[in-house]
Amino acid sequence: MIPTILAVSLLIFVIFSVIPGSFTSSLIADGKGRNDPKVVEQMNKEFGLDKPVYQRFGSYVVNLVQLDLGQSFRTRQPVTHMLLERAWPTMKLAIAAMTIAILIGVPLGFVAALKPGSLLDAATMIAAVSGLSLPQFWLGLLAMYVFALTLGWLPSFGYGDGGIRNLILPAVTLSVAPLALLARTTRAAVLDVMSADFIRTARSKGMNAYRLVTWHLMRNALVLIITTVGLQFGSLMGQAVVIEKLFSWPGLGSLLVDSVSMRDIPVVQGAILMIVLWFLIINTVVDVLYAVIDPRISHG
Amino acid sequence: MRLRFNLLFGGAICLIILTLGVFAPLFVHHDPILDANLMNAELPPNADFWFGTDSQGRDVFSRVLYGSRVSLTVGIVSQLINSCIGLLFGISAGYIGGRWDEFVSGLTNVMLSIPSLIFALAIMAILGPGLGSLLIALGLTNWSWTCRIARSSALSLKSQGYVQAAKTLGYSDIRIMITQILPNMIGPILVIGTLGMGDAILAEAALSYLGLGIRPPFPSWGSMLTDARELIAVAPWAAIFPGIAIFLTVLGLNLFGDGLRDYLDPHMRTRKA
Amino acid sequence: MYKRFVLQSTLAAVLLAGVAMSASAEEPRKGGTINFVAPYGSSFGTLDNQASPATQDEFVTKAIHRRLYAWDGNANKPVLDLATDVSASADRLTYTFKLRQDAFFHNDKKMTADDIIDSYKRIMTPGKAYTGARYIGAIKGASDYSDGKAKDIAGLKKIDDFTLEITFNEPVNPAFQLMQPSTVIYPSGEADKDSFKSHPIGLGPYKFAEYIPGSRLTVEKWDKFYGADKPHADKINIMIMGEASARDVAFRNKEVDVSVLGPAQYVAYKNDPELSKNILEVAEVYTRLVGFNVDFKPFQDKRVRQAINYAIDSDLIIKRLGKDKAYRAVSWLPLSSPAFDKAAKPYPYDPEKAKALLKEAGYPDGFEFELTATQNESWGLTIVEAIIPMLDKVGIKVKAKPVEAAVLSEVVPAGDFQSFMWSLESGPDPMTAMQCFYSKTSQSACNYYKFNNKDFDKLYEAALSAPTEEQKNDLLRQANNLLQDEAPGWFFNYNKAVMAYQPWLHGLQPNSAELAIQSYEQLWVDDGAPSGR
Repeated sequence: MIPTILAVSLLIFVIFSVIPGSFTSSLIADGKGRNDPKVVEQMNKEFGLDKPVYQRFGSYVVNLVQLDLGQSFRTRQPVTHMLLERAWPTMKLAIAAMTIAILIGVPLGFVAALKPGSLLDAATMIAAVSGLSLPQFWLGLLAMYVFALTLGWLPSFGYGDGGIRNLILPAVTLSVAPLALLARTTRAAVLDVMSADFIRTARSKGMNAYRLVTWHLMRNALVLIITTVGLQFGSLMGQAVVIEKLFSWPGLGSLLVDSVSMRDIPVVQGAILMIVLWFLIINTVVDVLYAVIDPRISHG
Repeated sequence: MRLRFNLLFGGAICLIILTLGVFAPLFVHHDPILDANLMNAELPPNADFWFGTDSQGRDVFSRVLYGSRVSLTVGIVSQLINSCIGLLFGISAGYIGGRWDEFVSGLTNVMLSIPSLIFALAIMAILGPGLGSLLIALGLTNWSWTCRIARSSALSLKSQGYVQAAKTLGYSDIRIMITQILPNMIGPILVIGTLGMGDAILAEAALSYLGLGIRPPFPSWGSMLTDARELIAVAPWAAIFPGIAIFLTVLGLNLFGDGLRDYLDPHMRTRKA
Repeated sequence: MYKRFVLQSTLAAVLLAGVAMSASAEEPRKGGTINFVAPYGSSFGTLDNQASPATQDEFVTKAIHRRLYAWDGNANKPVLDLATDVSASADRLTYTFKLRQDAFFHNDKKMTADDIIDSYKRIMTPGKAYTGARYIGAIKGASDYSDGKAKDIAGLKKIDDFTLEITFNEPVNPAFQLMQPSTVIYPSGEADKDSFKSHPIGLGPYKFAEYIPGSRLTVEKWDKFYGADKPHADKINIMIMGEASARDVAFRNKEVDVSVLGPAQYVAYKNDPELSKNILEVAEVYTRLVGFNVDFKPFQDKRVRQAINYAIDSDLIIKRLGKDKAYRAVSWLPLSSPAFDKAAKPYPYDPEKAKALLKEAGYPDGFEFELTATQNESWGLTIVEAIIPMLDKVGIKVKAKPVEAAVLSEVVPAGDFQSFMWSLESGPDPMTAMQCFYSKTSQSACNYYKFNNKDFDKLYEAALSAPTEEQKNDLLRQANNLLQDEAPGWFFNYNKAVMAYQPWLHGLQPNSAELAIQSYEQLWVDDGAPSGR
């Protein structure tokens, strides 16, 4: 885990040290404040941007080792502080989206697998693939128009007081892709188990196969859900960037996009590192859970 | 039964869109860029402009058709790059093993842990908007799956008799990798590539939304959607048709990929979905 | 269910009739909550307003803070705010301010001259780069202080607690310098505490209550605010909403009380029988233009630059693409500028003339150039897309080069472009605006076009030392007309800012400096506001 984090931090440092545009130029981007060369010079000095790249990288690594992500250019606050402010809303969004995806996607997959080849199966799967085929911001906009404007059920944007009403629309929008994926994989897993030899044998002997089937199905489904959750986390965070921007959701994703466009590089680096860290932690947990659920599964 | 349906239906959609894109000049009677007459802006669909016109007075039909070239190029080229990188790293890691394998595994982990859209966003910010940048950004960020699969199959193939035989015959390592190992993994790589094309087309739309798409005035579905999203009340057709185009294409690619997977290896279904 | 709110008919009629609606006819209602909108991005840069020049951060400044001068959005001129009186010395270098004695910070501390001196000193802190330094730097001794050569700023002198003397390096109008949002006054000694960054304290009509970064800032009424009977509303939520289509939904859904409209929405709102009743329009002091770089050979010829102005049908673009949400530009200075020449006519659309000029200049077959622009619908790629076919007709090929905003503002001052499209502030002070074409202004400051014209320089210098406002404006008017003829750029349009507001919101000011920036203390909501607010 630690080598990965080091490699990631090196990679993002390199990427963002060659990016065109700078924090000072972003400050005058709205055409209002003019570029006062003196202030620019002073600013580069204050943030150490006048030093050569290797020196900056050196101090970046030294700070990182001490778990110090530096100071934001625009707020002059510690990056860690800003990340922590934004972490919970994003986590809430991700957890809600995953929960919706699991609660709907898995049963849907089961239902489809009960009668493979039936109309219900086909409809479910076409719907699932459709869910994977829509641009997310488009879907979100559509959801806003329908559920906020036309039906008036939910607020269309923002964080509100942090309650559930504001969470629903972004979470549902974000859940569509993992939901579709879960429905599809669940179906496939169920079909696999059903066609496995030992189940067929048990069935043909007229044994009380249901308990057996149920147990195997449950276990397989669980492994499957955990795998999908672990692997989908990355793309979920990617999509969250778009969704958070659309819904004015105060999460890590919108902080990241803003910081990229304002070239607030310490925050960008910190936000990406945080997302990477989450990904690694979640996948470690997934690995542990595997072993608990199904000791036979080995992985490498 | 369903297997065939996916394959055929998905394939048919892809084929139709490919044909429309490649032979776009035969189907349209308006230039997608220069036939812009602001006097014709935001006309609803009619006999002359089948899909209506956008806010610049350009024919949405011809832009959707020409836009498929961009979207398909993005899908195909970025996946080609991804597959090449993935295969190169994967096969060599599995076959050579040792330090190199460790390095590649580490790199793959790094790539997997950074969400690819965020990675692509960063690369686009460096290179600046444009088709070339888009191809590079999406081509460099999504190869870890291909790499993993290539590595594990190379690992298992390495000990197979015929590979060992080729070795004793004095074939060079590169020759073995290309002639003996590569052909055995084409199936799963094709599947991943097809599904990845769909993801790339959606990623183009997302990046356009974030302000990092292609270079106008050339049409792409993502930029058309982004430009038209505020026109929904005034000129919904400018937003609906590119939306449908993205949806159908990605749907077709996903169905085709699913079908291909089921066709090639019915037991592979549970792996990477 | 949300359609139940019927507008207040009498009031709506008043609002409908005039742009400058003085709410005096109606007694402002006390209390209630206003849901305002900050539309220029998906976050605030910082809550330390001395450190940010961004318009987006002014939404915070206006609520929480006060400066020595304020911009009066009704009269559209700077007015004294923290002082009640000012007198100038004969050489126009030294100004003596009588400060108001009824201004209290949100921590109950009474404002004195020390707070102003300390605030200006903080802006000039050695080793720090606060953007306010651009304006405070004009005060005598300020740069010595920031270089660490002096312990105090020599030009700031406290006569007594409520009398302050400020001396400048050059004769300037202190109002334009000291009304800038990055020159806000903080209570002495508070600003560098860590808590200040997340809990700012100011003199404004509203005090900080809650901040959810990236989503919302909530401020509450400050009871000791010095404005008579102000503020009216109890609470203001400033919603951060950069996404126009989302803002549209939220406004129609009555979740926010105002929305800044883009061209497409402008049409939709104007055509809606209900929404069209509450729209506020103002000519803002921003000029949208395509600037030419004279280092690129074809642009060295004035005839080529003029040809481009003739070849583009600006009126058509404004009408069809811009949906009339802009005023045709004549030259650099905007309509509302005191130096604007009402008799001047813009370039007519005349492609034949353009071709003739190109031929004369030695480009009978045209040429190709690159146009750097951001993805903005009013002054970016959307407009570039429309001029591509127009210039194509006279043989000029335009290659669009899309960049992000932060990149545009880097490559343009660096001269790294052939042409660029931008929306630039061209007011409210015409002198400051014209400085950008003075040959001694560097390209990195704001003479992006490397404009160098002796006649212009003469007029500009004469205006600098003109004894009266009229004479100054007359000289600047001539200089502005000269700019039109020289065509350092294609002057496209002046922004017409459009804001839609809910029928229950009153007291909006037609602020031509930036319509979306409102003095919150003048706003109030009647009882037609949605229940619960």
